[in-house]
This record gives sequence, structure tokens and C-alpha cells, in this order.
Amino acid sequence: MNGPYSVCWLVPAAAIFAAPASAAVFLTTEQAQLALFPGQTMSAQYAVISSAQAKQIEKIAGTKVRELSPKVWRSSNGGWFYLDQVIGKHEFITYAVALSKDGAVLGVEILDYRETYGGEIRNPKWRAQFTDKRNGAPLKLEVDIVNLSGATLSCRNITTGVKRLLATHELLFGQK
Amino acid sequence: MRNTAKILFVASAVLFVSVEAHADENLFGYVKGVEVIPEGGWELYNTTTMRDDKGLGSYTAFDNVTELEYGVSDRFNVSAALQALALDTSGLVINGYLPGDMDFGLKPSGLELTAKYNILRPAADDFGLSLRYALDYSWIDKHSGQDKDTLSAEFDLLTQKYFMDGQMVLVGNLGLEMTYADRGYIDNLPVDFEWPTDPEMEVEIILGSGLTYRFAPNWYAGAEAVYETEFETEVGQERWSIFLGPTLHYGSAKWWGTFTWFPQIAGGGEQYDGQADDSLHLIEKTKQEFRLKLGFNF
Repeated sequence: MNGPYSVCWLVPAAAIFAAPASAAVFLTTEQAQLALFPGQTMSAQYAVISSAQAKQIEKIAGTKVRELSPKVWRSSNGGWFYLDQVIGKHEFITYAVALSKDGAVLGVEILDYRETYGGEIRNPKWRAQFTDKRNGAPLKLEVDIVNLSGATLSCRNITTGVKRLLATHELLFGQK
Repeated sequence: MRNTAKILFVASAVLFVSVEAHADENLFGYVKGVEVIPEGGWELYNTTTMRDDKGLGSYTAFDNVTELEYGVSDRFNVSAALQALALDTSGLVINGYLPGDMDFGLKPSGLELTAKYNILRPAADDFGLSLRYALDYSWIDKHSGQDKDTLSAEFDLLTQKYFMDGQMVLVGNLGLEMTYADRGYIDNLPVDFEWPTDPEMEVEIILGSGLTYRFAPNWYAGAEAVYETEFETEVGQERWSIFLGPTLHYGSAKWWGTFTWFPQIAGGGEQYDGQADDSLHLIEKTKQEFRLKLGFNF
């Protein structure tokens, strides 16, 4: 390459590699438990989803069950805490869902999010859309959950993730 | 120009695969996805394509496109791009296309304006659908490096489907490009060499498809294929070709990179005198291409 424009090759590379990587771990599991169940004691629960149950969940939620051992805790006041991951645009998104004793969503917390757009999913107003949802609710993007521009895949996967956890809870602990 | 250009190309590729950091997405090197950046978003792209080997003599070209894209709305993006070309060819003369040896480093060769409108989003609808329009003006012939004014308008219909919550992505493209070209006069052409300087019109149809799978956080591996056929005023179907190759993509919140090896697996139409491999089109295409795309969100 003889010409003076050869250095053009290096400009975008320099800009890109100089860019800081985004660190976006907002809450630890313990912090999320404290935010969703303040003052409560949490105890880990052992649960395994059978292949038959997985098929039922997938049918209800319309999404694949990737983890057959859900991470679930029970609070001292009878509530439930689920820690889960869904696929984001580039990386997994870790989130937590709190359920009441009778299986209604008390709250959702985003533990980590590393995407280019859509950081607004951490806003309380967006997360509040899930409050009081129960198994059987539509939980469909742009039906009962508002989308965030530039983060449609993340919004959809968190929405179907909550739907999947509600179905999972109903099958595993619905009678308790 | 060859050694320096190749070193830079390889250096970019090495940096690309060795740095662990973060970006947004062109999952493929050649086929296009439907997604747009949201309102107010900016993205800077740099695409470097190496076109290599016409089967006789020596031929290596580098196309560099630096593009800035802006989200006018959540559905509509516009972009402007500066194109540059470097070429090194020797020992190859193709009547009507390549008058002789040429060697120059990267220099500006064209401009492109693009608009993209998203109709359906793959994550919210059953599949994604976008329309793309590109207006391209160049003043250097990308094949020979000679003076040539070319004005092209390309219309694309883009589709995209997510599978497995977005872990696997299928893309399909249908494009139509219309080109007006006017070659500059050349002194001292080889004897009996044809170099028409009357304006010509060409119509190109482009079909593309790609499938890619996220095998680890941030990393996609896949394959893509592009079929192109071009019709020209005097000769009818001038050429057709199929390129098919693997694509590796890394994406994170701040930047992304995509590397594609794109060999020509079949081609036809016009051939040059003495072309040994008659199963490929090697006048306007080469035996293989390598493309490195880098994108930076801000």
C-alpha cells in the first residue's frame, strides 16, 4: 500500500480498541433478594424440572427451557425468588423475579445487562409492568408489555422469561 | 501496495480476534439484516474487502468503505459512506475490462448514501422485514482502476427470522441494482483492445442468504451465500456468480466485528481469452474475497 490513505485502515481499529468495555453488573443475588424481600430470610429450594414438565412449560411460555434446575429461594414470609438468565443481543441477561405466596409477580430486578441499547429495562416503570402478573397472563411484547426501542430482543426475552418462570412455578410449587 | 496492504489487513484481523471487549450487529459480511439503530443513535462502520486472484497473472484489490449511520427514527436510518480503492494487478489483460498493469495505494473512489426503513421487527413480529435504498457514485473502475463514472441505485428487500430466542438468525436478501457507467478515454491501449467510452446501462439482481448461530456469549459462527447476475445493454446476461463462505462475528455493547471468507464456488457468463477455469466468472469477480467489518456504537 503506497498511498497516504493507508493509515485509514488504522483509524477505525484504534477507535474501536480504545473504546471501554461496558461493565454492567448492577446487583448481586443477595442485593436483589434484599430489594425484593426486604427484611426476609431466604432459603434455597431444590427443584428439578422433568422432561415432561419442560415440554408443558415450553408449550405455555412459547420458549425453550434451557435450565432444568431452576435457581429458586423461598422467603420467610412465604414468597418465592427466582434467579434466571435469558439471551440478550450479545450476552445473557441475568434477572430475578419475586412471586407472592399465591404466585403473583411482586417485582422484577435486572442484575446485569451489557447491551448497546435498552438500559431502560432497569427503570422501575418498565419493570412494574410485570407486577401482579400470574401464570396464564398474555405476557407478550406490545400486548401487555411495552417495548423499548433498540432493545426489542432483550425486552421480548425477559417477557417470555417471566412467563416461563410463572409456568415453572405453577408446575413445581403450585400447590404449596 | 500488496505487502503493506496485506499486513494492515492481517493486523486488523489479529487485533479483532485477540482483544476481549464489547458492540452492535452486522452478523454477516455480505448479506444484510433488517435491524436499524434507534432514534438518535449513531454507528460508525468500516468495511475492508480484499478481492483476490483472477486465475491469471496477479490481481489483488482492496475496497474500503467508511460509513456513518444515524437513527432518524426507531424505524428509519440514513447513512453516508466514503469508498476507497487500492489495486495491484500485473500480467493480466482482459479485453474490454482490464487494459494492463496497475498499482496504486488506497485512494478515495466513491460515495454512497443509504436509507433503510424497518417494517417488521424480528423480535416483536413473526419475522423481520426492511426496505433499503442505496445511491452510489464512484469515479474509479473497481475492476481496472481506470477512470470511470458510475452511478448506481440499489433497492433491497431484507428479511430476518430469529430462532431459539435469537440464538440462531436466518437472513434473506433480494436486491435490484441499476447502474449507469461512463468510461474515460485511455491513451496507448494495446492493439485491438476494446475500451468503449459510450455510456452503458447495467441491471443486477442479487439474492443472498445467511444463517448464523451464537455458540458462546458475544460470538456467532455461520455461513452466507450471494448469487448475483448482471445484464448489460449489449451482451444481455453479462455474468453470474455464486459466492459461499463462513462468517465469524463478535459483538458487544460498544463495538462489533465480522470476518467473512467468501470464495466463488460457481460462475458463468463472459470469460476472458485464456481463462483456465471456465466454471467461474473471473472478469468482474475474483476467485475469492475476504471481508472484515468493524462497527462502533456511540
